[in-house]
Amino acid sequence: MMATPIFGRTAARNDFPRADTRSKPWRLKSLVLLCAVIFPLTTARADDRGSVRDLAAMREQIAELEREAKSEQHRFDESELRIRQLASRLQNMEAQNQRLNQAAQKLTSSNSQFQSETDRRFEELQQRRSENIPTSLFDAAFGRYLGTHQFTLVGDAAVSFIYNHATSTNTFNLQFQPILLYRLNDWLLFQGSIAASLPVGSNASFSLPVATAQIFLNDYLEINAGIFDQPFGDWYEDQSPLWVNRLITAPLLYGAEAIVPPTDLGLQLRGSMQWGELGQDADYTAWIANGPSFDSALPMPVVGQSLNPQNNIGINTNGRALGARFRIYPFPLDAKLGRLELGASTYDGKWQDSFWFNSWGVDFAYLNHDLQARGEFVETYRQMPAGSGPDNRQGWYFQLGYFLRGAPTTGIAYFDDVIHRLEPVVRYSGVNQRAIVTNEIATTPSVGFNGSPSIFTPHAREVALGLNYWIEPSIVWQTEFDLELPRAGGTAFTFNQAQALLSHPAPTPNDRALLTQLSIGF
Amino acid sequence: MIPAQRSLLVTLTIVLALASRVFALEATSDERKLFIEGAKLWPVYCAQCHNARPGSQFSPSQWDAITMHMRTQSIMPAKNIRAIKVFLQQAR
Repeated sequence: MMATPIFGRTAARNDFPRADTRSKPWRLKSLVLLCAVIFPLTTARADDRGSVRDLAAMREQIAELEREAKSEQHRFDESELRIRQLASRLQNMEAQNQRLNQAAQKLTSSNSQFQSETDRRFEELQQRRSENIPTSLFDAAFGRYLGTHQFTLVGDAAVSFIYNHATSTNTFNLQFQPILLYRLNDWLLFQGSIAASLPVGSNASFSLPVATAQIFLNDYLEINAGIFDQPFGDWYEDQSPLWVNRLITAPLLYGAEAIVPPTDLGLQLRGSMQWGELGQDADYTAWIANGPSFDSALPMPVVGQSLNPQNNIGINTNGRALGARFRIYPFPLDAKLGRLELGASTYDGKWQDSFWFNSWGVDFAYLNHDLQARGEFVETYRQMPAGSGPDNRQGWYFQLGYFLRGAPTTGIAYFDDVIHRLEPVVRYSGVNQRAIVTNEIATTPSVGFNGSPSIFTPHAREVALGLNYWIEPSIVWQTEFDLELPRAGGTAFTFNQAQALLSHPAPTPNDRALLTQLSIGF
Repeated sequence: MIPAQRSLLVTLTIVLALASRVFALEATSDERKLFIEGAKLWPVYCAQCHNARPGSQFSPSQWDAITMHMRTQSIMPAKNIRAIKVFLQQAR
């Protein structure tokens, strides 16, 4: 019986026959030889001739049997060899399989560790993301990329169309006023502003209304040096930018016949503090500057003479102007009473040696949700040379605006969107002065000025009705209708060609103007 | 290095590490407070003169310069403009 290799486990030595136990082929061979000896002996006696033939046949059969046995033995040996080879290969495969199993176990273990490590790192990243660290890190990295010295460009621009009834003028106008901010660090900032416009009949006109260095010494004190908007009242500094002004024109006291200089060259100290709860603040500004000067084109000082826009070089006085402004905000933010600002200003300086120009003013601003109101009252006193009367002036304005963003809906989305972007505004302003100088009257419209000659009257009054359509928080399409309603009285001075001063009662005609303007703050 | 010095150094290192972690947490907490206060002040203080402009209109570095400029223009308390700046820089 042949041994059968057992698959599925490692073959043992006993599973295969050994050389000393190979009995079957030898038994078969012995049996054939025995038959070959005995069979002829038993049959030879019966017939000798037949026996010879039989013997030969038997020998042949025996030879045949021996060949078959040899062949069988050969096949058996080959089979045994193949079985041994297969057993060897099987052993090799089983060993290899065992190594593969071990490697697979290691890989499974490593994969599990890698998976848990990945999960842990992913969780850490998610936690960092939830703490907004990536955004701040990005901002910091981008800030480092941009550098510490940074230029920032802001400013405003406006294009307007102006129609004036008295002069039958209708014209487009344009003004562009970029503001360049150069920040060196947390305590030093430079600001420069250039105003470009297109006056009639010439190329572009440029001016430098503001160029300052702002030095923040601490939380309560700042130095502001250079050419600056006059920090008198609220108008020049805070309300004059094209997109900030709720109307197109300026109030009369800060417009074409301004009674306080709009800019000055000097040095300011300013600061603020919270004196009570959040929202209860107070601020101060004190400044020294070159001071006021009046129209130097006139041959002699005269009552009603216009102020120069700015006095770059103090040639008529050795003194400087001093100014101060104080503002207080009485309502706490949490009181829900709105935000109220109350302010007082003074500006005093010599406009000519020993002749003083004194001014003072009070102002307020109130903001409560969609309502905004503001107003100012200003008085100025100008000492005049002997032989001339006093040159006192007054000016005021009161302005009220209301956003319609809370207006009831009509149910038509388009109309609702338009209505909720509207802001009607009304302003009443006036100026009182004893006289005007007709040589200084300029009725050419420009951005912020409707060109009406009625503004150049001693007792000018103006009602301005405006409607703003807010496209964006800093982009507005404004429309304004002005009613000029000057009061009677006052004198008009005129220098004739011989530079002689003539005086006559000032004309006070009514007038009206329509302006529309697209203003952009950028 | 003797063991006492080594243990002192290790203790000091651990204390410094913990302290820096505490300061970092406090800084984050302070910034969050400023952000909340800035969100409260922004619509009121800015609208005192003009419509409040959203933080998305300028980059954080531009807000650095613009808020310095507006501190001069409005003369608002320094701590309030800091809060508004944090709000504008982060609410983008």
